[in-house]
Amino acid sequence: MTSFRSALVWVAGAAVSLSVAQVAAETQQPAGQAEQLTVEVSPRRLTLGVGEKLTLVATVRDADGAVVDDATVVFFSRARRSVGVTRQGEVEAFRPGEFTLIALVPEDPDDQSRRPDARVRVEVPVTVPKPLVERVSFTQLPPKFYVGTRPQLAVEVFDTLGETRTDVAVSFSTSAARVADVDRFGFLTLLEPGTVEIVASAEDAADTVSVEVESNPVTSLELQASVATARTGEVVRFTAIAKDARGLAVRGVPVQLAVGGQTSPEIIAAGAAAQIADDGRFVAERSGIYTVVASSGSHSAARTVSIERRDVRREVEVVGRGKVLDRHTSDLWIWEGTDGRDYAITGTWGADGHSYIWDVTDPANIEKLQEVKVDARTVNDVKVSEDGDIAVISREGASDRKNGIVVLGVGNPREGVPVLSEFTDQLTGGVHNVFISEDHVFALSAGRRYDVISIEDPSKPQRVGRFELDTPAHSVHDVWISDGVAFSSNWTDGVVATDVGGGGRGGTPEQPVELGRYAYPNGWNHAAFPYRSQSTGTFYLFAGDESFPYGGYDSKAGGAPSRAAGWIHVIDWSDWDNPHEVARYQVPEAGSHNLWVEDDVLYVAFYNGGLRVVDISGELMGDLYKQGREIAMFVPADPDGFIANAPFVWGPQPFKGHIFFSDWNTGLWAVKLKERTGPGRIVGEPQ
Amino acid sequence: MVLKESGVRRQEAGEAGGLRRLLLGRTIVAAVAVGALGAALTAAAPDRHSRCYYVYVAAESDDEVSLVRYGRNGAEVIKTISVGSFPAEVEGPHGLAIGPDGGYWYVSIAHGFPYGSVHKYETGTDTWVGDVTLGLFPATLDVASSTGLLYAVNFNLHGPLEPSSISVVEVETMTEVARVEAGIRPHGGRLSPDGSFFYSVNMMDFELVELDALGFEVRRRLSLGDGVRPTWVSQPTADGKVYVTGNNVAKIFEVDLESWQVERTFETGPGPYNLDLTTDGSTLVATYKGGDSVGFWDLESGRERGRTDTSRTIPHGVVVTPDGEYAFVTLEGVGAEPGTVEVYHVPTGERVGAVDVGKQAGGIAFWKMEG
Repeated sequence: MTSFRSALVWVAGAAVSLSVAQVAAETQQPAGQAEQLTVEVSPRRLTLGVGEKLTLVATVRDADGAVVDDATVVFFSRARRSVGVTRQGEVEAFRPGEFTLIALVPEDPDDQSRRPDARVRVEVPVTVPKPLVERVSFTQLPPKFYVGTRPQLAVEVFDTLGETRTDVAVSFSTSAARVADVDRFGFLTLLEPGTVEIVASAEDAADTVSVEVESNPVTSLELQASVATARTGEVVRFTAIAKDARGLAVRGVPVQLAVGGQTSPEIIAAGAAAQIADDGRFVAERSGIYTVVASSGSHSAARTVSIERRDVRREVEVVGRGKVLDRHTSDLWIWEGTDGRDYAITGTWGADGHSYIWDVTDPANIEKLQEVKVDARTVNDVKVSEDGDIAVISREGASDRKNGIVVLGVGNPREGVPVLSEFTDQLTGGVHNVFISEDHVFALSAGRRYDVISIEDPSKPQRVGRFELDTPAHSVHDVWISDGVAFSSNWTDGVVATDVGGGGRGGTPEQPVELGRYAYPNGWNHAAFPYRSQSTGTFYLFAGDESFPYGGYDSKAGGAPSRAAGWIHVIDWSDWDNPHEVARYQVPEAGSHNLWVEDDVLYVAFYNGGLRVVDISGELMGDLYKQGREIAMFVPADPDGFIANAPFVWGPQPFKGHIFFSDWNTGLWAVKLKERTGPGRIVGEPQ
Repeated sequence: MVLKESGVRRQEAGEAGGLRRLLLGRTIVAAVAVGALGAALTAAAPDRHSRCYYVYVAAESDDEVSLVRYGRNGAEVIKTISVGSFPAEVEGPHGLAIGPDGGYWYVSIAHGFPYGSVHKYETGTDTWVGDVTLGLFPATLDVASSTGLLYAVNFNLHGPLEPSSISVVEVETMTEVARVEAGIRPHGGRLSPDGSFFYSVNMMDFELVELDALGFEVRRRLSLGDGVRPTWVSQPTADGKVYVTGNNVAKIFEVDLESWQVERTFETGPGPYNLDLTTDGSTLVATYKGGDSVGFWDLESGRERGRTDTSRTIPHGVVVTPDGEYAFVTLEGVGAEPGTVEVYHVPTGERVGAVDVGKQAGGIAFWKMEG
């Protein structure tokens, strides 16, 4: 316990800037307290540079103003990672910002009443100024500067702590405005040949670049398009070629591209219907005529293309159902059994630990074969080995709190599904998702990491490896294995690819080696499906969100329908070191959950938005939903559902010409796409 | 953080069984089915008191907190509040505490993603006020009347046996102001009445821990014996004793805080798990998780004067009313079974009420008495 007396004064531990001299701070104390105490802290507010220290001095007085000997004062910081304070009141600043320290005198320790009076406390504001700018640097300068063009200069700003700063105003100036002018964004207007110095300044730091402006050799500009006619969603490549008087191409000339056009006459108020990227990739969301204009200096060129409707729409036919109406259904897996028949396994959620095994050989007559009950409330995930012999189910809410996974023998489901083993060691916090790959189970441990468990002997699972991120507050939700690479989904940390035997960087199930990671701003990454495009060969990662920002739900029987948000992020991951997001599939007012990709078709569960089937053939760019790539949608409902008429599609799996999916409130469904009988309905394109 | 909108369930006076649901806009008002036992007990509710007692109860596998009242109509759920953010993920409300002034209740969301959190709600209106992310599996929590600081043990049930921590939270801004390493699997924390010390146990370090609650550092540790797994420690008594469960050895240890030694050991039913004391320190009530029963101990004599079987399996939490009349006990149940809150008459050990709540009822906190 620290005691404070009037004569007791600590000395400041570092040079500090005190905004106010030693003044008694105003305390927060309700009227009517038995003993009117005040606490004074000196200084009452302080300003500290990063790394500087100061010791606060606290004095406690009674109602008569007398110092209270041996009074206890507790110091703490509301932002201890930015500014810390010890129990002796020593303050140290770690990060810039405005913070608050608290000095608190506990209430009368002898007051044993259930509702004692409030404590005496005082807040001490702390200002930690941002470090000064130390350096400004021009980056990525264009190779050439030609009269008449308008290149942009980019700069980076660094402070005295070495951090990159984006919150500092940068100003630009020119030494010769007749040669080159510069605006506040760093765009140059190059007026005549000559040498000019451009200065970028931030606070007291500056950088200067000498720009040699050359005569523009360009005498013509040509614009080419990869095709003259395309469909909505199809990427067309425009190439601008600047030529000199001899007809030779001039490299390094900045060219701006823009697009305008007219949608088909029947589309009214279409909005922005097409886009073009800086590298010349163009895609349209609506049918029509579009003209791309390239400009460079005084030269311009235009090229017009026509865009037709994609028209891939098909209707959905319900083939059969495996109804589960008395509890929630979770994930599913469909497989061809060792006997040549087709089977499905589904989990249950928030109930009694059941998983169900179905014969789906005839999807029109789905037959429940077995019920497996384990000690759990939720069997969130179910997976089956490649040979169809072993299933692994996850456990959450076990009565003994051991949870873990359960290994099932599914080699002969018609005869029975024995429990071969369970594995709970260090998985007691609950397993939410699993994946089986080559006799190994990848099992999530309470969202903290995934463990790799060998089931070479399925009766004796044993842990052989694990993978955990090292980022603050990391959290993993799902893992999917493809060709020896594990793709984990990690909310704010995004998708992480790890070599577990097939990534080419020496990784094994025992020693996973990270290949790369990609995070996106919304932080909702929940699932991922890796896929190499059959039509282009591009390796895409389809990353799905999960989010429930709307509230208003009740998951009990007879409860309320839920509504989700989030979408599918399409990431071009052809280079592990350079993942970049190129497209999205987003359904308005609904949210994504689990997904599957096969034969250039995306199957995705969109919770309240039902099942969606999407054409992902060709290069992907922009908003796939608006491009009319949606092949089909199906929103299941059942008045006898666990929650009546409340579609909540959990996960899809295409299998032998049918699409199976699980729905939270109604169980297992088998549907198929109908044959085309005429033009389909396309989002935003009237018939 | 976006929270679930509350689905409010209310049992109307005199109704037991029969689910009646009226939709009132976006709020559900419903009669709550009381199990057969609960219904019978409700009908037989004693008239020996005119008071009503209110407790908040967490249902870990339903992401709900229920407000339960016990009075002339027996035990009844008068409101259920959804907690957490995801309808399709179980986030696991575990520990509960009421602030010293009774104005707010605090619930630990234990499962998290994977880090858990503590959420603050206003009592009565049950309006969400704020939250703070803490460590892995924040479980038991308590709020100091002297400082207003909240202490929560980060149980870390997730994996390897590794040291975990106790979080200190300033509840006005819901800010974690300190995190103190405590030991392996800290659980069952309670503050001294003056808020100077926070006592908890390290289940897999087999020890009792005393935290200097004002200086935010562990002051003393007491080994309870090699392999002895403690799960709970009571609030200190006026004469300086705390009681600690030895869950796997069927014992309760009486620890003298001055000598920092075990003074008495009580042989209990299987799996003593949670404890609470009458305000006068005369009676200790213990849940026996492994024995599906509740024990009532006379602390002067050191004898268990009564043991009553619970109506459902896996008893978990217990809280004794300030007048020492009743003990409210939570029963987790198994699988899809509902959780249950049972009410025991402390002087006799007789069960006098029961009502079902959400699945895996665990944390429980006394709010108020009326009448």
